[in-house]
Amino acid sequence: MYNDILYILGGVGVTLQYTVVSLLIGFSLGILLGILKFLSKRPYLINFFISVFRGTPLLLQLSFAYFVLPELIGFNLSVFEAGILALGLNSAAYMIEIIWAGIKSIPKGQFEAAKTLHISSFLMWKDIILPQVLNRMMPALANEVITLLKETALISVIGEVDIMRRAQYLAAEQFNYFKPLCIAGLSYYLLVQILTFIFNYIQKRWHYA
Amino acid sequence: MLKLQNVSKHFKDQTILDNISLTIEKGSIVGLMGPSGCGKSTLLRCIQGFESYDKGSILCQEKVCLILQDFQLFPHMNVLDNITYGMRHVLKIPKKQAEMEGLSLLKELGLEDKAKVMPHTLSGGQKQRVAILRAMASKADLLLLDEPTSALDAQSIGEVVQLIKKLNAMGLTLLVVSHDESFLKMISTKIYELKKGMLLSQK
Repeated sequence: MYNDILYILGGVGVTLQYTVVSLLIGFSLGILLGILKFLSKRPYLINFFISVFRGTPLLLQLSFAYFVLPELIGFNLSVFEAGILALGLNSAAYMIEIIWAGIKSIPKGQFEAAKTLHISSFLMWKDIILPQVLNRMMPALANEVITLLKETALISVIGEVDIMRRAQYLAAEQFNYFKPLCIAGLSYYLLVQILTFIFNYIQKRWHYA
Repeated sequence: MLKLQNVSKHFKDQTILDNISLTIEKGSIVGLMGPSGCGKSTLLRCIQGFESYDKGSILCQEKVCLILQDFQLFPHMNVLDNITYGMRHVLKIPKKQAEMEGLSLLKELGLEDKAKVMPHTLSGGQKQRVAILRAMASKADLLLLDEPTSALDAQSIGEVVQLIKKLNAMGLTLLVVSHDESFLKMISTKIYELKKGMLLSQK
């Protein structure tokens, strides 16, 4: 039993690795394209990107990135590369909408106040607008990060040995699904609780009004 | 000195500003009166550069700062950071010096105990003073005030009158827009009236 737990927990690092890297991709693209969508009068391309990644299953996107994309681009992708590509872009699609909605909720006067003080565009976004956007959208962003963490379980289908895959190995080996799935479930649950705690902490520290 | 020459602005077939010429000398307090919707705010926004105009020219030798009607302090920064942000990041004044200058400005307007509080805890009048200090800290010397009394009660209006006179004594030029004639009479060296986009001189 003890060994089983240790074996499955060995996948926590992999799960976290996929979560963190995909989050970095999703968050940076989310901010960049969220701002672009806000500034653009006709953000057709961004909306198309969002509609594709929201309109198809993540499982399909992962399989596509691993099995089909290499044929199209002419070189192979590792499981990790294909995984973070699909997870990162998928997460970006949701983050763009969150950030964009957050920017739209900031009063126009905040932009104008920054301009009356001759604050450059870059500093205005970095120090005036985005901190307010992130503060407002923290609950939605926390949701997205938690979803992302749990969705990394799907990478087991393209062969990554994460928490989920390890549980499946054990189950197949011992002809018993109950224990491994409970251990895996508990691992995900605890990871999500830790994330929730971190987000609550940030939210409290950051809350200004 | 601020000089407007034949400034006109149309929106569709509506005339918003009709051939406006106006000179504001350094050190004066000019009042601009008129009912809501007459184009007062639009005129201020044209001077600040937020809105375009179709004809004429606006010449300004001073650094202008429009104090927005709802002040728009940065809600995620404390009062002192609101005031010193522009000094530090636009004027590139070192942090310590900026904070010293900021504190002495706050003291000047009786807000030194508010330096570290967040804007949402301030009253309307205090927010307005912080917004004005933020503009002064960015070294603006021509302040455009858009309805400075609209968010305040009767008692605070008296304080705004004192405040505006004090700012003027400190060397600032002010263009104050209001629908309240008696308020403008208390502060202005010259009052203009804006009617259907046309500028009429009052006194």
